[in-house]
Amino acid sequence: MSDNQAKIVVRDFSVFHGKLQSLRSLTMSIPAHRILGIIGPSGSGKTTFLRALNRLNDLSPETRAEGQAVLDGEDIYHPDYDVVRLRKRVGMLFALPVALPLSIYENVVYGPRLSGVRDRRRLADLVERSLKDAFLWDEVKDRLQTSGMRLSGGQQQRLCLARVLAMEQLEVILLDEPCSGLDPISTAKIEEALTLLKAKYTIVLVTNNTKQAARVADDTAFFLMGELVEYGVTQRLFTIPRDARTSDYVTGRFG
Amino acid sequence: MRVPPKYAQVLAVALLGAATLLTLVVLVFIIVFVLTKGLPTVNAAFLFTVPRDMGRSGGILPTLIGTVLLPLLALVIALPLGVGTAVYLTEYTRESRVTRMLSFGADCLAGIPSIIFGLFGFIFFVVMLHMGWCLLAGGLTLAIMILPTIIRTSEEAIRAVPNAYREVSFSLGATRWETVLKVVLPNALPGIVTGIMLGIARCIGETAAVIFTAGSSLRMPTSVFDSVRTMSVHFYILAREGISSENAYGTAAVLVISVLAVNLVAYGLMHRFISRRTR
Repeated sequence: MSDNQAKIVVRDFSVFHGKLQSLRSLTMSIPAHRILGIIGPSGSGKTTFLRALNRLNDLSPETRAEGQAVLDGEDIYHPDYDVVRLRKRVGMLFALPVALPLSIYENVVYGPRLSGVRDRRRLADLVERSLKDAFLWDEVKDRLQTSGMRLSGGQQQRLCLARVLAMEQLEVILLDEPCSGLDPISTAKIEEALTLLKAKYTIVLVTNNTKQAARVADDTAFFLMGELVEYGVTQRLFTIPRDARTSDYVTGRFG
Repeated sequence: MRVPPKYAQVLAVALLGAATLLTLVVLVFIIVFVLTKGLPTVNAAFLFTVPRDMGRSGGILPTLIGTVLLPLLALVIALPLGVGTAVYLTEYTRESRVTRMLSFGADCLAGIPSIIFGLFGFIFFVVMLHMGWCLLAGGLTLAIMILPTIIRTSEEAIRAVPNAYREVSFSLGATRWETVLKVVLPNALPGIVTGIMLGIARCIGETAAVIFTAGSSLRMPTSVFDSVRTMSVHFYILAREGISSENAYGTAAVLVISVLAVNLVAYGLMHRFISRRTR
């Protein structure tokens, strides 16, 4: 977790929803090419933090951020920062799989088309590569033109992952409890995909499932009531937590 | 006296069923009445020849064309304005006192009797702008008349598009405009089409606002500055002036069938569009 290869650094970073403060001056750095698991009970600010990292919080007018959030040395909340470019570099997978009412193919090429990719061969290659990386290719390769909405929940979530992976400028993947509604097999496939994908991307995984963090995350951060309680290498955090609250949470005493 | 639930249930079903049946009977009666009276007059010659002697004899070709052109023109004007306004109100502004006032205003406008729009169109387009009775003045007036309906139905349809779709689109690096084009409008289309259909139906059935603005010339229109007569107006004049009740009923039959056909085609297209995206 050395600072020199930090992909994202936040300093004194707070987020407010109206008068309610959901994140309390967070300071942490997220290293490149590792999976960061964020755990904590609901309402602890995990999702708010995640949505702040690609500025999706901008969509709710009463939400505002304070402090610094830096991606590759640039403050993403600087007034001149290009939000559209940010979201192409920092992709997001939501808790509920949302396939757009388009074909499987069109779902995957949604991002690339926005970036101006028109070449059919290149789009087809992107679709195949992304669906393979999301472990969905074998299940859908013969029916790419059918609607993405006809897939099962687990398949739809992998389609959503493929849709994120198809963005050519992608560097960071944010996942917001991506497996909360999925069957164990789909969950396993997504977890396996993530462990392979960290070679190319930086991954931040918010999860309600402490075991999932223990399985796939290299580092784990424990959030509680908008504060970062403890942050460290996963194995250490789970075996010898330094904070009593972390210890209580990971052993299942509350949350 | 309290009615036992069991009988209340039977009574409710009977009353609701009776209401439905009554509605259906009235509807079917009107359609059957118009068609039986009118269809004997309708043939190819009736449809495709020009009227003679004020419509006492001959066909209805110019009014058929007027009935196609006038609503079409109104729609061409009202659709971009209406959908544009709806998109602006829903996607580009936050809900505030101003947007609520605009929506409220649109609701009020939708309830104003058409003759008022006709009067406005007559004073403003026909007289003040020196357009005279013409297709353009009629189209503009009808456009203003159906605008509130199109705005409100489009607004409802756009608000009904799941927010999750917008979030996904934004999270994939789309701008607001790209999101509107690729996600919001395609998914709101069925609702928008409903508004369009209501608007077209109102235009086709309109008489008061049309007579005041598009006039009632029986000549074949050659430009938007020519006066036209629609089938509704033709029927009204034939019946009121007692010119020819056969031709009046013939016109009415064609009118009813065209409205039915427009609706069938619209629903057919809609169905194909939706199933293409979800199948």
